[in-house]
Amino acid sequence: MENLEREHIFVRPEDYDKHFSTLNLGPTHPATHGIFQNILTMNGETIVDAEQTIGYIHRAFEKLAEKRAFYQITTLTDRLNYCSSPINNIGWQTTVEKLLGVETTKRIDYMRIIIMELARISDHLICNSVIGVDSGALTGFVYLFQEREKIYEIYEEICGARLTTNLGRIGGFERDFTPSVIRKIREFINHLPKVIRQFEKLLLRNRIFMDRTIHVGGISAERALNYGFTGPCLRAAGVDYDVRVMNPYSSYNDFDFTIPVGTNGDTYDRFCVRQEEIWQSINLVKNALENLPEGDFHTDVPEFYLPAKEDVYSKMESLIWHFKIVMGEVQVPVGEVYHAVEGGNGELGFYMVSDGGRTPYRLHFRRPCFVYYQAFPEMVKGSFLSDAILTMSSMNVIAGELDA
Amino acid sequence: MSQYNLVSPPEGYSAPGFFATSLDKVVGLARKNSIWPLPFATSCCGIEFMATMGANYDLARFGSERLSFSPRQADLLMVMGTIAKKMGPIVNQVYEQMAEPRWVLAVGACASSGGIFDTYSVLQGIDKVVPVDVYVPGCPPRPEQILDGFMKIQELVGNESLRRRYSPEYRALLEKYGIK
Amino acid sequence: MEQQLIQDSLQGKFQHGIISFDESSDILTLTVKKQVVIEVIHFIKEELGFHFLTDLCGIHYPDQELALGVVYHLHNFQRNIRIRIKTFTSVAEPEVETLTAIFSSANWMERETYDFYGIVFVNHPNLIRILNVEYLDYFPLRKEYPLEDQTRTDKDDRFFGR
Repeated sequence: MENLEREHIFVRPEDYDKHFSTLNLGPTHPATHGIFQNILTMNGETIVDAEQTIGYIHRAFEKLAEKRAFYQITTLTDRLNYCSSPINNIGWQTTVEKLLGVETTKRIDYMRIIIMELARISDHLICNSVIGVDSGALTGFVYLFQEREKIYEIYEEICGARLTTNLGRIGGFERDFTPSVIRKIREFINHLPKVIRQFEKLLLRNRIFMDRTIHVGGISAERALNYGFTGPCLRAAGVDYDVRVMNPYSSYNDFDFTIPVGTNGDTYDRFCVRQEEIWQSINLVKNALENLPEGDFHTDVPEFYLPAKEDVYSKMESLIWHFKIVMGEVQVPVGEVYHAVEGGNGELGFYMVSDGGRTPYRLHFRRPCFVYYQAFPEMVKGSFLSDAILTMSSMNVIAGELDA
Repeated sequence: MSQYNLVSPPEGYSAPGFFATSLDKVVGLARKNSIWPLPFATSCCGIEFMATMGANYDLARFGSERLSFSPRQADLLMVMGTIAKKMGPIVNQVYEQMAEPRWVLAVGACASSGGIFDTYSVLQGIDKVVPVDVYVPGCPPRPEQILDGFMKIQELVGNESLRRRYSPEYRALLEKYGIK
Repeated sequence: MEQQLIQDSLQGKFQHGIISFDESSDILTLTVKKQVVIEVIHFIKEELGFHFLTDLCGIHYPDQELALGVVYHLHNFQRNIRIRIKTFTSVAEPEVETLTAIFSSANWMERETYDFYGIVFVNHPNLIRILNVEYLDYFPLRKEYPLEDQTRTDKDDRFFGR
């Protein structure tokens, strides 16, 4: 009798494949941060297959870049990974400097490191706190966002904008750090560890959080490399690849920092790697700020460095250069260059072909999350729907970067 | 007296024991202080919206503590970020799913006009697919600006006539966008 | 030094497939015929240790006979060298063999290249548009197509100096 009842209620294992359901996740699903669609084939609560559709905010950056002068492209790069715009800005500027063969001074490099590491902190803060939100802990998000506001304040102090910073110029910065910038960074760096420790206390050894994330959405190092993973997601899988160490730019080789690596490549490892990178970044900012050398805040490349506005209005030479740069009458070397920086999500590459014109002939952005998000179906196969949500948020897919 | 601010009552006649005003005003008052927004955040402006929701700026002060991710229960569609042509029909669909009365706030230059992305793939403003009530400029707008736009919406909501949604003008407006 | 070694081993293996070596730019660049490009990449992956496909993108030179190009960037993590491989094909016959069998990451990058330039990757598992709408009837990043949306009517050319 009992057996008979069971047969009526439950689907037999051999009939499983006849009972798949299709579930549409996105493009406007609250759990997809950013806009992309996942069509999941489900067997009960288990995911059998996933198919992604992206391109919902494709903005044609690469075509736009072919029509914009070099100094105007900084504005576009802001909107790639908008959680850490300054890294993109500086990545683009260093690419142009590589093409031009411009050497920057130590002060510029150190200032850049400070800003880039602050940006990395803000990127990881948003990602990790959102992992918390998706696993049901909103508290961490609220506290970390308050800290993030302080980073915005520092950006505002440096360049006047909060999110899309358009920070820096080709060859350096538009203005020097004011004393209040330095004071604000110091205050922030001194206060942040307390909050991060609280946040870690909330989640890192939290039984529920560990159960939700350990062995969820894992990927092996070999598959991760084959899928072109970079950044925290690759390091979580156990490969210590970091552009800052492999191909140091902007004097990163002057500093001593460790690259955290994980073992399983699962959601928990990604979380921990990001968390540890925040600590490393705090140290980097501290060191760079302490050893900030004296010097000029921009290199002497009048052909590309837009002169200060007050000079344009009062000095003949600046006016001429300003006119030349804006009208595109400077000599641009012919050639091609690939330059990569370690963005919030991994290797952010700029492949530029210049034909000597005012604009790049071709500019391709190697966007880390575009490359690695395609591994998502492989990572969630066989796991539960709620695990897929956590995997997605731990991959930190930023729609602006995904769709370019 | 209290640490809480109470909204002032609408215009009306009062004497001991009674208060008389028009129904429009009472409904408007109730609606405007409990708007449930649907955050349709696609890109950069969405991050600024997160800041607006955060502790520093706190959208909850305006009666919008509860975000409605389902269009069915939402009053206000907040479109934040670039809407590409691929996304256009989806915005339209979300709007259609919302129940009357509904309002639309276009946050940021991209949602308002396409912004700096005057390209083949970007919709040049969401007013091509849905009617918009308030535009917030900025790329991205600061949280204060988003709040300001939100308060403008509140003003509209508070002063709206109950008959507006049945008027032939409103029907014609929806007809223009192909919304039934 | 390392570059010389790579160059020698490649030249020994693919004498006729390789069109040119270029050391003048930032990383070693070689241009190969499209018939052998997959073989070359397979060789440098397995024999020379370039296990990481950094980037794959298209490029368009309308004045050349072989106008459409595909540019591959590979990275050898162990010895930290990068290499750039280019191959060209004509607009009339824009077909290149797919790389998805060797690198899974090539899947979306090739779809993106197809979407932008119309380069058809033969044997690709799912070669459809990835970023643009499916009904788009041209390949927007080719040089002959304008940046702006041509169907717009609300723009007054006088205000844009045209």
